[in-house]
Amino acid sequence: MTANAPAQYSGRRSTVAALRLSLLGFMADPQWLIPSMIAPVIFGLVSFELFQGSGPYFLIYAILGAGMMSMWGQTLYGSGWATGQDREFGTLEPTIQAPSPYVYVVLGRVLWNVVSGLLGGLIVLGVVIAAAGYPPAIPNPVGFAVLFVFVMLTLAAVGVVFAAFYVYTRYAGFIQNIGEFAFYVGTGCMFPVVLLPFWTNPIALIFPPTWALDALRYLAIPGYQGFSWGFGWDLLGAVGTTAVYLAIAGTVFHRVERHVLEVGNLSDY
Amino acid sequence: MIRTDLAIETRGITREFVSRKGFLFREVNRTEALRGVDLGVERGSIFGLLGPNGAGKTTFVKILSTLLVPTSGSALVLGHDVTKETAWLRPRIGLVLGGERGLYNRISGRENLRYFADLYGVPTSERDRRITELLERVGLGAAGDRRVEEYSRGMKQKLHIARGILHRPQILFLDEPTIGLDPKSARETRKLVRSLVSDGVTIFLTTHYMFEAEELCPQLAILSKGRIVARDTVDGLRELVGGDRTLEAEAYGFEDREVEALKRLPGVSKVVGEEFGPTMRLTMRVRTDEIDADDVLRTLPGHPELAVKERRTSLEDVYLDLVEEEAR
Repeated sequence: MTANAPAQYSGRRSTVAALRLSLLGFMADPQWLIPSMIAPVIFGLVSFELFQGSGPYFLIYAILGAGMMSMWGQTLYGSGWATGQDREFGTLEPTIQAPSPYVYVVLGRVLWNVVSGLLGGLIVLGVVIAAAGYPPAIPNPVGFAVLFVFVMLTLAAVGVVFAAFYVYTRYAGFIQNIGEFAFYVGTGCMFPVVLLPFWTNPIALIFPPTWALDALRYLAIPGYQGFSWGFGWDLLGAVGTTAVYLAIAGTVFHRVERHVLEVGNLSDY
Repeated sequence: MIRTDLAIETRGITREFVSRKGFLFREVNRTEALRGVDLGVERGSIFGLLGPNGAGKTTFVKILSTLLVPTSGSALVLGHDVTKETAWLRPRIGLVLGGERGLYNRISGRENLRYFADLYGVPTSERDRRITELLERVGLGAAGDRRVEEYSRGMKQKLHIARGILHRPQILFLDEPTIGLDPKSARETRKLVRSLVSDGVTIFLTTHYMFEAEELCPQLAILSKGRIVARDTVDGLRELVGGDRTLEAEAYGFEDREVEALKRLPGVSKVVGEEFGPTMRLTMRVRTDEIDADDVLRTLPGHPELAVKERRTSLEDVYLDLVEEEAR
C-alpha cells in the first residue's frame, strides 16, 4: 500500500452506500419488524373498524389514515433517528470526517425510509382489502399511487431538515418527542387539516405534507372538501414547499457541520 | 512561509470547551484543553505525542484531522489549512480514534469497510480486493464476514486501523492505537504501523505507553496541561531531563546534607527523593561517566542497608520528570 492521489467521492455513491447500510441494519436488527411489518397490520385493522360504515369511501379513509400512521413517523424521523444512532455508536465522527458531505448519507437513509414506509403502506392496503373483502374504489388509481409516493417524498424532505437537528445536538430526540403528535395531526396525516381551528392552518401550510395530503384526498375521494383552492394549487404548493425544504437542507447541513466542529460535540450522546 | 518538508505545522493552537449545566439557572464551565501548541512534524516519519490523561492529545488530533475547529491559532496539514481546506484534506487524512465505539456492530467488518470505502470514493473496481487485502493485513482475514459485535476489543481496534488506511491516506492519525490490547495484538499493531511508514505514510501517534513511543517514534513531543513541554528525540529528551544514566540509592531515610552531597558529585544534574513504605529512594540523573555506584556508596556512609542500582534513563523517567515539573 502506498499513499497516492486520493480517490474522489461521489454524492450518488455515498447515498447508495447509506441506503445499503440502512437495508443491512434493517435485516440485522429484528426490532424493525415491529414498526415496519407488525404495526401496519394492527393500524390497518383498527382503522378499518373505526371507519367502517362511515360513507361510500370509508375504505379510502381507512387506508389513508392507517397508511399514514404506519409511514409518517418512520419517513419523517427515521433519518434523524439514524443520525442519533450514529452519535450513540460513535460513527458520526468517522462519517463526518469522510470527504463525502453528510447530507448524502442522510439522503440515502431518507430513501430507505421512503421504501420501508411504502412497504408499510402496502401492508395496510392489503390488510384493509382483506378485511373488507373487496378493493377500494379509487377513481384514478395510477394518479393515486404516484401522489402517494410523492407524499412520502414530502415527508422525507422535512425529515432531511430534521436530521440536521440530530447532527446539531444530542437532544434532538427531545425536540422530536415534543413535536411528533402536533406534526401528525397538524399536517393532516390523521384527518383533513380544514377540520382543525382556522388559526392552525397557516402553521400547517409551512410543511409540504399538508399540501400533498390534501391533494391526495382530493384525488382519491370524490366530493372531498379540503382547502378552498383545490387540487391544482395543493399540488403546486407541495412541490414548492418541498423544493424549499430541500434547499434549506443543503444550507443547514453545511452550517450545522461547521457549528458542531466549533462546539466539538460530535462524540457526545 | 509554508514549509514543504513538514506534514504538520501548528502555531499557537488553543482550544476551549464550553459546557453548560442547568435549565433555568445556566452554569457555564470553560475548560482550556490546548494553550498555544506550536509543533512541526516532518513528512514520512512516525511522530509520537505523549501526555497524561486530559493533557489535550485527542483534542489536538481531532483539530489536525478536521474534526474540531481550534479556538485560535493555525494548523496546516500537508501544507493545507485544517479549518479552511477540509475538502482537500479529508481524502488524504486517515484517522483512527479506536475504542469500542465508532463501528457498526450489527454488520460485518467487511461491510463496515465497504461503507466507508464508498464514502471515500475508493474506486469500485478495486474496492473489494482492497478490503480483502486489508482484512488479511490487519489479521482479520478469517473474521471479516462476522458481525462486529462478535469481535474482541483487539479485533475492533484492527478494524479501526483498516478503516483508517482504506483510502490510502498520506497522513494517518492514531489516537492511542494499542490501548486495551493484549501484548500480542499490541505488538502486531506496532508492526503494522512500522510497515505503513515504509509505504510512505506520515504517522502521528498519541500514546500512554512509553516503550511503544520509544520503539516506534524517532521524534517525540510531550503534551501536558495543553502545552508542549518538550520535543526531541528520545536521547535528546534524556539530555533535557539531566542525562541518560540514572542511579538509584535506597535506604531507610536520608538526611538533607546527604542529598546536597550527592548533588555536588560531578555529572549529577538532578536528585529526587521518594518514599517507598519504610524505605526512601533517591533517584539521580547523571550526564557523564565520571561517577558510578561506588561513588554514591562512598558519599552516603553510615547506611549498611544502602543499595545502589544503575540503569539507563528510560522514556518513562523523562516523561515523569517533565510532566511533574509542569505540574509544579
